[in-house]
Amino acid sequence: MYLPDFEYHMPATIQEACALLAEKGQVAKVLAGGTDLLNKMKHGLVAPAVLISLKQLEQLSNIEYEEGKGVLIGARATHNAICNSKLLQEKYLSICEAAHHMANNQIRNVGTIGGNISNAVPSADLPPILMALDASITLVGTKGERVMALEEFFVGPGKTLLAPDEIIAQIVIPDQSCTGSTYIKFGLRRSGALAVVGVAVAVTMDGNVCKDARIVLGAVAPVPMRAPKAEAMIIGKAISDDLLEEVGVCASTECKPIDDIRGSAEYRRDMVRVFTKRALRKAINEGHV
Amino acid sequence: MGEKYAVIGKSVPKIDGRAKVTGQAKYTGDLKLPNLLVGKILTSPHAHARIISIDTTEAEKLPGVKAVITHKDVPTLKYGISPARWDESIFCSDKVRFVGDKVAAVAALDDETVYKALKLIKVDYEVLPAVFDPEEAIKEGAPQIHDEYARNINTEIHQNFGDVDKAFAEAHHLRTDRFVGNRTYQCPIEPHSAISIWEGGKLTVYSSTQSPHYFQHYIAREFGLKMGDVRVIKTYVGGGFGGKLEPTGLEFAGAVLSKITGRPVKMFYDRHEMFAHNRGRHKQIMEITTSVDKNGKITGVYANFMMDGGAYTSLGIATAYYAGAMLPLTYEFVNFKFDMIRAYTNLPACGAQRGHGAPQPRYAFECHLDNVAADLGMDPIELRLINARQPNTVTPNDFAVNSCELTECITKAKEISGWVQKKGNLPSGKGIGIGVGSFVSGAGYPIYRTNLPHASAIIKVHEDGTAATLYTGATDIGQGSDTVLCQMAAEAMGFRYENMKIVAADTETTPHDFGAYASRQTLMSGSAVKQAGEEVKGQMLELASEMMEVEVSDLDCRDSIVFSLSDPEKAMPFGEVAREFFVRKGPLVGKGSYAPPKLGGTFKGAAVGTSPAYSFAAQISEVEIDEETGEIDVKDVWDVHDCGMVINPGLLHAQVHGALYMGMGESIWEQVLFDDKGKILNPNLGEYRMPTAMDMPRITSELVESYEPAGPWGVKEVGEGATIPTMGCYANAIYDAMGIRVNSLPLSYEKVWRALKEKKEKEKA
Ligand SMILES: Cc1cc2nc3c(=O)[nH]c(=O)nc-3n(C[C@H](O)[C@H](O)[C@H](O)COP(=O)(O)OP(=O)(O)OC[C@H]3O[C@@H](n4cnc5c(N)ncnc54)[C@H](O)[C@@H]3O)c2cc1C
Repeated sequence: MYLPDFEYHMPATIQEACALLAEKGQVAKVLAGGTDLLNKMKHGLVAPAVLISLKQLEQLSNIEYEEGKGVLIGARATHNAICNSKLLQEKYLSICEAAHHMANNQIRNVGTIGGNISNAVPSADLPPILMALDASITLVGTKGERVMALEEFFVGPGKTLLAPDEIIAQIVIPDQSCTGSTYIKFGLRRSGALAVVGVAVAVTMDGNVCKDARIVLGAVAPVPMRAPKAEAMIIGKAISDDLLEEVGVCASTECKPIDDIRGSAEYRRDMVRVFTKRALRKAINEGHV
Repeated sequence: MGEKYAVIGKSVPKIDGRAKVTGQAKYTGDLKLPNLLVGKILTSPHAHARIISIDTTEAEKLPGVKAVITHKDVPTLKYGISPARWDESIFCSDKVRFVGDKVAAVAALDDETVYKALKLIKVDYEVLPAVFDPEEAIKEGAPQIHDEYARNINTEIHQNFGDVDKAFAEAHHLRTDRFVGNRTYQCPIEPHSAISIWEGGKLTVYSSTQSPHYFQHYIAREFGLKMGDVRVIKTYVGGGFGGKLEPTGLEFAGAVLSKITGRPVKMFYDRHEMFAHNRGRHKQIMEITTSVDKNGKITGVYANFMMDGGAYTSLGIATAYYAGAMLPLTYEFVNFKFDMIRAYTNLPACGAQRGHGAPQPRYAFECHLDNVAADLGMDPIELRLINARQPNTVTPNDFAVNSCELTECITKAKEISGWVQKKGNLPSGKGIGIGVGSFVSGAGYPIYRTNLPHASAIIKVHEDGTAATLYTGATDIGQGSDTVLCQMAAEAMGFRYENMKIVAADTETTPHDFGAYASRQTLMSGSAVKQAGEEVKGQMLELASEMMEVEVSDLDCRDSIVFSLSDPEKAMPFGEVAREFFVRKGPLVGKGSYAPPKLGGTFKGAAVGTSPAYSFAAQISEVEIDEETGEIDVKDVWDVHDCGMVINPGLLHAQVHGALYMGMGESIWEQVLFDDKGKILNPNLGEYRMPTAMDMPRITSELVESYEPAGPWGVKEVGEGATIPTMGCYANAIYDAMGIRVNSLPLSYEKVWRALKEKKEKEKA
């Protein structure tokens, strides 16, 4: 394993970075934490001739609140920066928890939220909870900026709507009306295991009645997916164990898992049932977002 | 001076602890030498293919490349750690036999150039049909992997002791079960590496090895060198667990590259290549039949096994024999039949992993025994107590057992785990299970035939008596042998541990020892060290007697003070006597060596499993199963060991924890997976899941009083024995929790989930 040769750029502004991407074309790749990209390059799975590092774009690391917009997480924010952000801990503990259960400390120190999203791996841990909280992303390209719902961004494994000259600049989490949210990752050991199934939910409760719900499933389809039928099934209903079980069963019929070395499709499907139920219960009972 | 021993029996700090935690300790891969080249081996991308041609011209042209070698440039003599089957070549010439087989090597100025050069070597292959399943491999018409071994049978064993047929015919109860093990890999944290320096007629190899001696022997043999012209030096080693016992190919390729270039060459395997080189646990397919009488006494056992050996023999012949040989050691029965086939497949070669061939059969047998207990309506512990081996007995396969406190181990484990209160009374999803085991304290015979003693040692006292250096071939690979051997040396000499130094595992400066495997060093190397220490002490006391004008018989030495037994006020510092010794007589040196007595029977394979002493252990675990996901949460483990006298309790319990960790990984998570072309799917620590600290249970490691007459101060082993009971112990706890039996390893969450699902479906129907 050895990194192949590549040309390295460290632009000072995001515009410069986009211009470089446009100029270099398909052979160029953005480099953030490199935990995914460099690994793939070492294994010969990809061989970009040009790497454009986001290292100098300090402003992309910010995590802040902007009135009227919501919480803005810069694409270069590392998983540990997210775990440790006071702002996020107060407003969206569920995102901190999702980041905390990723990988291991070393990876969390360098891996970024932007990389986790751009990678578009079905098992990625952050997209489900971000989607459950209705996050959108800001994409910056040579022609300017556009905002897109995260849910629409993913096309297939490793495929997104990111244009060749674009960079994810930030993730926007709008102000919430939900009363609880959570992400449960089911991996095959307590730490350092990728998700076999990940379930994120956000619920709006009024007493025992669920007014609104978003259910997002990870690692069980080519992209992180909403479970609309399961959502419809719980909205407007009083919560009971039987209902949660039914919602779980419904979500398990909606997902489209495959067999891989971590688990069979059959197992994953049933785990969607189990963890949809558990995630809903947790979000309802713990009552934090 | 109330205590019997001054140094042993105490958790003194590890002699290399500071060097390791500060990063001062240098491993082979850390070493830098002037003019050092970097080397790397090109391996096969195919599981089975004929080599049509190899073109190295482009690689040779790359600036910075100093040598490119293939089978044409190296000796063709086949090698292997098992002399009965030398079937490996430095580089393949005709065929490659697994994905990762060695084809060529490059030496260059730096890592980057080496990797580039590897890509420039063009190898033309004709891909051949391959076979990955041992049961398929032995069928007529299966792809032939080695021309010499028909039907891919690498080893075939048929042993029969007593009269199993009769026992089965007369059985009160007879039961057969089938279990399947898994391919696991040792995953030492330090990758294999070697630095070879061929200068003049002499070859020096720095290596990450468990046995400088076997490396020296096989490297000398391969190149037709005299043993004395090959020097193997062990550096600090970051774990071996059986995987670093035999030369890896890095030493052979590195030696040739060094000879050609006239420069030292450093070679290493990266994590992926370590998985391909392998020598890890064999996957065994195990069918066991047992007959018992109405009291639950085992009357006969038939073990019908097969193992997937991979593409080469490695230590696999011994593994195959161990698989059966250890079964009648743990429990007493006289009728025992054992059939085994070790088949070649087009997968990486398997070898010896902690516990050697024993852990999987032990898993199978412990599960099988719980099934028998259930059939009989007996408590699993009762059944084990009825059959447990007793001291001073001989197994049907002629192993003489001296000390044996298995009954006490089981009884104590039962007590401290709260078995009686828990068994049958735990809430749904929780369960408790037992597994027991036993293991050799050193192999009775070396790997190749030789009458060399198994261990030897020299102790040299420093001229001014302030320090003593132990010279031993014993090999510390992290387990702590340097520490316990220095404790033993100090105890025997009456010296202080704090003033001990050690030079170990360098074939030129230290006397011969076979190295770290088969849990041999505390007993065997320890015997040699004790003798050497006593020789130093004898010489000291003789001179002290003159100096102090006290009869030798009235003198002793402890804690670096020589004193009169009858009048302890009369004393003299060790250093003063030692210094005077040097002045009057020259170097104060003690020597020792150890060879086991003649052991074992005369039948074919009788040598495997012989040992001067055997350790015994019982393990009980409590698990909690998530009934919806199959997730296994091991809550508590109680391990009780009979390992004789304990030299360093801290290190001993660390071995129990480490062995349990490995056993636990093999039980629930670890498995090397392959695609349908024989390529490893998870050659990394992300997808080959070893447990993390967060997965570990609470561990209670306890001992029983035990004294082994064959060992110095009564010692036995612990390093491997503690891995053996774990898989069966967990499987039985899961069985207790859920009433389901997963008959294959690992006992993954998904398998448990599936078994629970099938059980529910059955109950519904
Ligand atoms: C040992 C290990 C464990 C892991 N465990 C987990 C886990 O538990 N859960 C999980 O979800 N992931 C895991 N990962 C995957 C990975 O670490 C994460 O996905 C991480 O967030 C990737 O971020 P990065 O900054 O390192 O991305 P990089 O490797 O730098 O980039 C990844 C991809 O995204 C592109 N990219 C990066 N930033 C941007 C941007 N701002 N705009 C446009 N494109 C961009 C790059 O071009 C590249 O294609 C693990 C990885 C390793 C090595």
